[in-house]
Amino acid sequence: MDTHLEQFDRDGALRETEAALPAETRRDLLLGALAGGTALALFASEPASSATKGDVAILNYALVLEYLQSSFYTEAERRKALRTATAKQTARVLGSVERAHVAALEQALGSAAVKRPFFDFRGTTENEDAFIRTGVAFEDLGAAAYKGQAYRIQSKALLQAAISIHSVEARHAAWIRYLAGTTPASSAFDEPKTMAQVNRLVASTGFIVRRPTTRSRRRPRFTG
Amino acid sequence: MRWAGSGPARKGFTVATEHSTASRSGFLRLGLAGAGTLSLGAVLASGAPRAEAASPSPALDVQVLNYALLLEELQVAFYAAALDRGKLRGELRDFARVVVEHEREHVGLLRGALGAKARKVPRFSFGAAVSNPRRFAATALELEDLGVAAYNGQAANLTRGALIAAARIVSVDARHAAWIRAIENRPPSPQATDPAKTRRKVLAEVDRTGFVR
Repeated sequence: MDTHLEQFDRDGALRETEAALPAETRRDLLLGALAGGTALALFASEPASSATKGDVAILNYALVLEYLQSSFYTEAERRKALRTATAKQTARVLGSVERAHVAALEQALGSAAVKRPFFDFRGTTENEDAFIRTGVAFEDLGAAAYKGQAYRIQSKALLQAAISIHSVEARHAAWIRYLAGTTPASSAFDEPKTMAQVNRLVASTGFIVRRPTTRSRRRPRFTG
Repeated sequence: MRWAGSGPARKGFTVATEHSTASRSGFLRLGLAGAGTLSLGAVLASGAPRAEAASPSPALDVQVLNYALLLEELQVAFYAAALDRGKLRGELRDFARVVVEHEREHVGLLRGALGAKARKVPRFSFGAAVSNPRRFAATALELEDLGVAAYNGQAANLTRGALIAAARIVSVDARHAAWIRAIENRPPSPQATDPAKTRRKVLAEVDRTGFVR
């Protein structure tokens, strides 16, 4: 596992957690609950064309984080390298929510939306332990990032939307932490992170790359 | 109002002191923005939801934070009573022990911010919800989800300093909600975005629990 991910681990809880995932599966969790029916209409009332430049910048910043999260879970699901039910379920369930966040932000931003970056998750989508740790880090980071921007958003509609995504990120963080056997809520207060702090952490992972990559630890799968 | 956290904004302000009352109706009669007061009876009797569109102001912060205080005090009392009864075991007990401390800190932050403007807490009575572990879990789930929806419903009504403080709290309540949901094998985030409930709706749900005496 890449050591720089430790920087995400705000309370050291993850470092204390070994690969031991809960033995029991929680397979009934969530089945069907997140189906595509929850398309987000919440940005609809506020097209980006009427949003301030600052709000557009914040939404695009959120969009990059959602791209990062959704691509991570989607890739983990597609590569089929995760074996435990816990990890597979995390990828499936959280992937569907993060993709919904992406769709909502893209819709809100319209032509002002940034393009999806290319990602190289450096094996974390194929290794159980690294996958769970990275997922926890991403969700804790997501919550801290939204929290760091909420008070800066000018539009009430966009603030409402962002704050309603913010608490979902925190739910995800707690949920994966629980599945990973670490404490879901390590403190009475969650602290915000600034855009600069978040961008620095994301950059340190090396997950965002200039070119598309086909890098995989597994051998290519041929179907022909 | 003073904020315990180190936020980008710590605006001090003063407001007219609201009269404190220990009664249930007094506590729940929280002024709706610019629209007089709202009694619990009115909450239940009235059908049409009223838009909660108001400009953030220090006076509105006091109303919203007192409303948040009620919900946090309700949670503290609930978890404390359940632990006191001694019927929780295993991860439910672990959950209650951790969460009650968090809720106490939330109360502390809100009381610190409100100072003399903090209203008195009504008395609570939880019945089987604190003596039966299954009922406890279902109630905890309901109260934590409700808390998240309540805070989310007020975000746009808060001034900058109050919003920063509320955001530090709401995500922890969201973590609690996901935690008890995980214990209960329920989806952590049943929707891609958390609902934002109006004060009217939240207070009606609180009233329906029968926990406030």
